[in-house]
Order: sequence, then C-alpha cells, then structure tokens
Amino acid sequence: MKFSGIKYLVEQGIDNVWKNRMMAFASFCVLLVSLLLVGLSVLAYYNVNSIIGGIESKNEVIVYLEDGTNDAALEEIGKKLEAMANVTEASFYSKEEAFESLKSSMAEYEVLFESLGDDNPLVDAYRLKVRDIGEISNTIAQIEQMEHIYSIRAPYDFVNILLQLRTILTWVMGAIIFAMIIVSMVIISNTTKASVFARREEIQIMKYVGATNAFIRLPFFVEGMVTGFLAGCSALVITWLLYDALVGILQDQVALLSIIGMGSIIQFSEIYIKVTLAYVLGGALIGALGSVICTRRHINV
Amino acid sequence: MKKGKEGARLSMVELKNVSVTYASSGVDALNNVSLKINDGDFAFVVGSSGAGKSTMIKLILKEIDATSGSVIVNGYNLDKLKRRKIPEFRRTIGFVFQDFRLIPSMTVYENVAFVLRVIDAPRKYIRKRVPYVISLVGLQAKANSYPNELSGGEKQRVAIARALVNDPKLIIADEPTGNIDPELSYEIVELLKGINECGTTILMVTHEHDLVRHFGGRIINITQGEVVFDEVIGGANEV
Repeated sequence: MKFSGIKYLVEQGIDNVWKNRMMAFASFCVLLVSLLLVGLSVLAYYNVNSIIGGIESKNEVIVYLEDGTNDAALEEIGKKLEAMANVTEASFYSKEEAFESLKSSMAEYEVLFESLGDDNPLVDAYRLKVRDIGEISNTIAQIEQMEHIYSIRAPYDFVNILLQLRTILTWVMGAIIFAMIIVSMVIISNTTKASVFARREEIQIMKYVGATNAFIRLPFFVEGMVTGFLAGCSALVITWLLYDALVGILQDQVALLSIIGMGSIIQFSEIYIKVTLAYVLGGALIGALGSVICTRRHINV
Repeated sequence: MKKGKEGARLSMVELKNVSVTYASSGVDALNNVSLKINDGDFAFVVGSSGAGKSTMIKLILKEIDATSGSVIVNGYNLDKLKRRKIPEFRRTIGFVFQDFRLIPSMTVYENVAFVLRVIDAPRKYIRKRVPYVISLVGLQAKANSYPNELSGGEKQRVAIARALVNDPKLIIADEPTGNIDPELSYEIVELLKGINECGTTILMVTHEHDLVRHFGGRIINITQGEVVFDEVIGGANEV
C-alpha cells in the first residue's frame, strides 16, 4: 500500500471517531471506567504494600558473637555479613555499648550493676537489616555456618505475621485487580462488539468492493486507538486529581502511621511517569486491539 | 465486443453443473445448474422468492462455494481461488444491491471514490474519475450529500456510479429496482442498458416481469434451483 493510502486510512479512522461519536463515546466511557477500576486498584495495592514495607524495613536481626572473639575475627565477620545478598546493613554493637544501654534502661537496678564491677556479662554483636524478610530463615542459616557465632535473635513471630499479612494482601488485592480486569474486558468487549456490529454493513460493503482485511481494519484500529488514548488521558487526569485529594486527606493519618514504624503513602510525583505510560499506552492498546478483534467476525464475507 | 480465437465471444460467467446444498439446513438451493453469460451480454435472471437467484449471486461473488461443479467468473476459477485473492477478484466486478448499501457516514463523492481508494488509485485519477462517473448518473449537484439526504432512485444511481467507477467488466445488479418507484425503475434499467452498450456485461436479478417484458433480451428463469428457461426475447420497447 502506498503512503497516501495509509494516510487516507489513518485520516478515515480519526474522522470515524467523530462520525460514529455516539458509539465512540460509549467505548470511551467504558474504557475510562475500566482503566480507573484497574488503575486505582493497582495504586491501592502499591500503597498498602508501601505502608507494610515500612514495617518490614524496621525489622532487625541481632547476631551475638562468642565471648573473646578477637578484633581481626570481628572485622572478618562484619565483612562477611555485609557481603551477604539479603543484608542491607550490618552495624557493630560492642558489648560495652550494650552494657551502657542496659544500665541506662534499668536505672533502678543500679546497685546490681555496681556489684558486677568491671565484669561485663554481655557479648559483642552485629545488628543486621535484611532486604527481604521472606528470606530471613535462609539468611540466618548461612550466618550460623560462620565461626564465632554465639546466638542469633530474629523477630520470627513478627516476620511470620508480616509475611502472612503480605500474602493475604497480595491475594485479596490480586483477586480484586483480576476481577476488575475481567469485568473491564467483558464490558470493553461488549461495547466494542456493539460498536462494530452497528457498522457490519459498512464492513460488508468494503469487502464487496474488494477491500483487503488490512484496508478495513486499519481505520478501526486507528479509531479504537484514538478512543483508547483519550480514555487513557482522561483516566490519568481523574486519577491524579483523586490521588492528590486523597493524599491530602490522609496526610495526618499517614504521619501517625510512620510514628509506629509504618511506611508512607507514595506521592503521585514519584509514580506519574509509570501511571501516565500505563494509562495512555494501555488505553490505546486495548482500544485498538478490541476494535480489530471484533471486526474479525464480520470481515469474512 | 471481445472475440475468442475461433470468433466466439469470451464467457464472463460460466457455471458448469453447479449444485449448492446449505449444510446448516440441508436445502438444495441450486441443482446441477449450467449457464454461460458472454462478455458484453445483458441478462435478466428471474424467478420467485427462494428459487435460487440469491444463491447464484453469492456464488458469483465468491461469498459461498459450490457443493459441486465449477464457477468461472471473468477468468477466475472460483473453486481454486485462494481467500487472499478474493479482494483482487472482486475489484473486477461492480455490484448494485436492492438496498443500495451505501456507507452512511460518507458523502456521494466519498462512497464512489472509496472503490478507487481500495485499489490504491492515484489521487489525481480519483479527483478526475469520480466527478465524471457521478455526472454520468446525473448526480453532480448531490456529490456532497449524504445517503440519508437522497431519494431511493438517487441512492441507486450512486450505487450504480460506485459499481461503474472502477470500470469493471461485469456488473451484478441484485433487484436494483426493488426499493424504488416503478417509473424510476425504468430509468435505472435504461442506465444499466447504456452502460452495457459501452461493453460492460450486466447480470440483473429481478422479479419484476413487467420490466423484463418491456426491455426484453436474454432471460434466465430459475425455479426451485434449476434453470427452466434461458432464451432471448424481444422487448416491448423494440416494437
């Protein structure tokens, strides 16, 4: 096909949006609602995950070392711990620091501490921050293999609760997103089918005068893409306004959450590129493919 | 008029022992039909409703396939024609339908030009050819009108212009006068006769016997899926 032919078909597709404006508007509304349903569900999932992620980052594993471990061994253990894939931070916590901390936290037992004199019953330790709490058991098992390890304290119960919470959240939100995608696909498919069905005669006429399938489909493709693009842009604007408004309302509550160690709500400015691409490209792609797939039934004349 | 090597005219449509049975209903729509329409002919196909006329048209358009027998149209053996070659084949034929089948969102000019756009004709040619063909059917003043702004007779003229614009060798008119006033029917057939005189083969399906008697010519009568009459008769207008 010549360039002028392609240009004509693209122009036809754009013109058809206006010529078939009632059906185009119906498709636009359905796509907009579908994109919002799925988009907002995904954003809700990411935010809840971010809030829980805040707690996860606060978790700490303490590795106690054998009494009498020399400085060289301490340094070597520190290097090994830092080199572990699941460890984000390893800070040394000397037994002197631990003793001072204990004394200050138990001031009422000052007499007891004085009776110990220079004896320090505590041991040196490393405090670790882990990347993925789901992998904490493996990480601990690796540490246990090292020399000079006295004991390891990890928040297993806390980790288990978090893991269960995350699993439940992933399933619930995943089910909601999946349901939204299915609902969206059904309504998009039905609206597009109705739109194409209304123009089945037009498609048949094109076939009778010798138009190829590609010639018939290209304007429908462009038409669907333009409608989807506009729906994507509108969904983006609505999401932006809604999101900022919600963040404004929830700001105080979120600040409170951070005090108890939870993470924060994601700001729209942090994610707007991803959201824009997902809405605009997703809308255009769903619109275009939906139109083309629905023409298939009427194209075999 | 084209002549074969032996001086015989080339056939435009040839059905050889064609039978069509619809698998879904088991109805025998055509039963061992053999028929030949030569290049440059004007033939009326008559018959009552359900006689098999529409099935024959569908066969010629390669909308359906014959259950047995062979169909050759404008040199294309439709039994062996690959699906991707159907558009190319259809571009050699013009169609006129009872219900006009104009694209409602396109003007008269655009409807006619659409056929040329399908074949990727140069813009310059389209700009020259389309107004000329529209003028042939007497609708120059309505070139920018939409189908819903036209009368039945005008719509059918647009359909004829569309069928004609690609300079086809064969025009199939399926009940072209079925949805228009009787007096306009004669004008439409006159128009088709005029096109035929320029060398285009015309196959016109109709059930209007008055019209057939008036114009005369080759009459093919299909009854219960069989050709029961195929003769050339003199028309009343020739008397």
